[in-house]
Amino acid sequence: MSGKAVVVLEAVTKAYGRTRALDGIDLAVYDGELLALLGPSGCGKTSTLNVVAGFVEPDAGRVRLDGQDVTRQPAWRRGLGVVFQSYALFPHMTVSDNVAFGLRERGATRDEIQARVVEALALVRLPAAGAMRPSQLSGGMQQRVALARALVIRPRVLLLDEPLAALDRKLREEMRAELREIQRAVGITTVFVTHDQHEALGLSDRVAVMNAGRIEHLGTPREVYERPATAFVADFMGASTVLDARAVDGSTVELVGGQRVEARLGRSLVPGATVRLLIRPERVELGEAGANVLPARVASAMFLGDHWEVRLELDGGVRLLATVRGSAALGAGDRVTVTLPPDAFLEVTR
Amino acid sequence: MPAPPGRDGAPRRRPALGYTLLGPALVMLAILGIALGALLQFSVREFIPGSIQTGGLTDKNFRGVLAPHYLRYIWDTVVLSALTTVFTLAASYPVAYALARTASARVRSLLLILTLAPFFTGAIVRTYAWMLVLGNSFVRWPVKLLFEPEGVLIGLVHFSMPTMILILAAAISHIDPRYERAAASLGARPWRVFWRVTLPLSAPGIVSGSLVVFAWTFSAFPTPELLGGGRVKMIANVVKDLALDAFNWPGSAAFAALALVVTLALLVVTGRILGRHAT
Amino acid sequence: MMGRLVVLALLGYMTLPTVVVIVASFNPTAILSFPPDGLSLRWYENALTYPQFRRAAVNSLIVTAASAGLALPIGTAAALALVRYPVRLPGLWNTMLLSPLVIPGVAAGLGFLILAAALGLLANRIVLVAAHVVLVLPFVVRSVMVSVANLDPMLERAAASLGARPWRVFWRVTLPLLRPGLFAALLFAVIVSVNEFVVSLFVSTRVTEILPVAMFTYVVNYTDPTMAALSTLFIAATFVVVFLADRFLHLSRVFQIEERP
Repeated sequence: MSGKAVVVLEAVTKAYGRTRALDGIDLAVYDGELLALLGPSGCGKTSTLNVVAGFVEPDAGRVRLDGQDVTRQPAWRRGLGVVFQSYALFPHMTVSDNVAFGLRERGATRDEIQARVVEALALVRLPAAGAMRPSQLSGGMQQRVALARALVIRPRVLLLDEPLAALDRKLREEMRAELREIQRAVGITTVFVTHDQHEALGLSDRVAVMNAGRIEHLGTPREVYERPATAFVADFMGASTVLDARAVDGSTVELVGGQRVEARLGRSLVPGATVRLLIRPERVELGEAGANVLPARVASAMFLGDHWEVRLELDGGVRLLATVRGSAALGAGDRVTVTLPPDAFLEVTR
Repeated sequence: MPAPPGRDGAPRRRPALGYTLLGPALVMLAILGIALGALLQFSVREFIPGSIQTGGLTDKNFRGVLAPHYLRYIWDTVVLSALTTVFTLAASYPVAYALARTASARVRSLLLILTLAPFFTGAIVRTYAWMLVLGNSFVRWPVKLLFEPEGVLIGLVHFSMPTMILILAAAISHIDPRYERAAASLGARPWRVFWRVTLPLSAPGIVSGSLVVFAWTFSAFPTPELLGGGRVKMIANVVKDLALDAFNWPGSAAFAALALVVTLALLVVTGRILGRHAT
Repeated sequence: MMGRLVVLALLGYMTLPTVVVIVASFNPTAILSFPPDGLSLRWYENALTYPQFRRAAVNSLIVTAASAGLALPIGTAAALALVRYPVRLPGLWNTMLLSPLVIPGVAAGLGFLILAAALGLLANRIVLVAAHVVLVLPFVVRSVMVSVANLDPMLERAAASLGARPWRVFWRVTLPLLRPGLFAALLFAVIVSVNEFVVSLFVSTRVTEILPVAMFTYVVNYTDPTMAALSTLFIAATFVVVFLADRFLHLSRVFQIEERP
């Protein structure tokens, strides 16, 4: 990764009727990185991709590729590779012809085309699929052909629109790893759209969490997960418990139920100030393990195979969500002890 | 163009290109419009016997339409069209039902081909065929049929069945069979299911099919021309007689205009009814 | 069971004339009798050699080829415009494009005749061709629209993203995928044009008249079964064409008859 910004969006806005799909997007994608656009449906992630690809012209703002202003440039000029959610493989062409499409449009010779198609199919591990038709392929195979087709033209940026959404869970997990490998091997700058936070966290170098047409947090997966900028981001990245509290001193807060807990938030708290804290369910521990040990009652417990999802209630009505591994059976009404590690708290300001 | 937020339906397009593509088709329609305009223009011009030139503006042509012996033809047309519609409906419904409800794709294909083939065999062939059937060469009919209104009616029903069948079949096929199953489960016998569920739900199809058949039959030409043998005349035959035999283009145009207006009015009504039911 | 008998009876009614015509065409004498006294092909010979039929057949070929050749691109462009492009009031254009189907044949025929006379084009085939294009256009537009509606717009985007200019997208992706609709449209155009009678009766002269008009004139004047022979040939050709049409573009879909499992 050279640190050069390959794709730049400046103050991009797009409205459909009265809805603002994109509300002032500023984004830079660096050479060689894999950036995820993450968010719920309607947040604008696909619209952002469409603007970069040139399928949609923004109402305001600029799009730059390698420093060049391409805002008004049509899609066929931009030299990007796009993999669509439905793959969009040409049904009337064989796999080879599909992959060769972009090369033919660029006027490559027959030998060159053949060589590069073979190379591309080998890269996605479908060396024998050349003569088949898209309808004869499974979903996973179609996706790989779509990827080969986009990569064979050696685009400067690869754009993926929910590439794994149409696959079943097992296949999705396999393809996730493969996608990452291929991207690393080729070293191509990639932007991909997803609504699945696990996917975004696992695959990307950076994540842009979007909501209602704006980017709420842009950062590395760890940053976005462990230090979310807003309540929305924190909630979207994973379930968590929100606790309203009041600061007692520099590092202690009082919860609604009167419990005093130590919270190391990386800053000194102002006594009397209200704070809003988040704690991830996997950080809530059962048993005594250090500071912040509190009695609790199990409100409900759901066994989900590799973990339990437990809803706990502290004194004073404070509710807590916990993820507990292990096979110890838990039932509603059980009295337990919980430990809330002081460094597990996140502060949420917005 | 407005589209659901967060996603856009179609690739970026300029509306101007759409109109350009539509252009040639609109030119052809304009030509049709001009032809009809010429027709209407002639209908209000005076007929000069022996020439296809016309005189000044007049309402003589339309008054001629209302003359008693022409009025009779109009009345015959209305009656024949109405009877045709009723009989066509009765005859087409069972076939349409079979077409819509059959489970086998092959049977459906067969029915569809049998339904459509007369459609595409051409008016002259079909009418001539009826001339043979009704003409006592093959079968001695108890009642004289050829060159009588009854024969014309038989031919007209035959002519209209494909259209009615297609419209009804489309309407019936859109009725969820679960309604019929629900009725049966509630204790209704097959005939009652049909009477209380299927028939009412196919009403929009019945109405639009009837109106289309009536409108079409109103202007029917080859069937009454050949099967009527000059003794049964409908509006279209009068138009042809006046235009091609008497060269009275203005007079003919008045009748043609009448047929046009009636047909369009009926189809506007159909459109309204269809619009309300959104079949 | 009763229902099936009724349907069969009705189908019999619908196909009876066809059967009669075919039987009559082989009748050895000019006076028809049933059952026929023998089989003869003389009427086929007569039909195929009758000069006016030959001239009319050539005319039909010319007019149908010209009108189909014009209607296909015009109709395809219109279908694309209505389905894909943000044209305002698409419903209105849709209705207008289907309107030739509802105009009474005698009205259109007389109108075109008057127009031809006004333009001094009475002896020219051009008005006849124009009329055929107008009459055939609704069928073409409907058939192509079905194919266009089934075309995934993402495919065109994919082609654009791979570097294809708009014209190339049309040529390499859109058009090939429209093939079934175009084929059906061509079929419909040919069938409708070849069989068009009423308007053609008004607009043609003895020199330019197409086959159905020549047949009409013959039937009015003669009573021998030559017409039966010609009709049988027509029927046979039509069956083949309709069968092909159903194979290539499922006719149920074109006529909006849903298939239920």
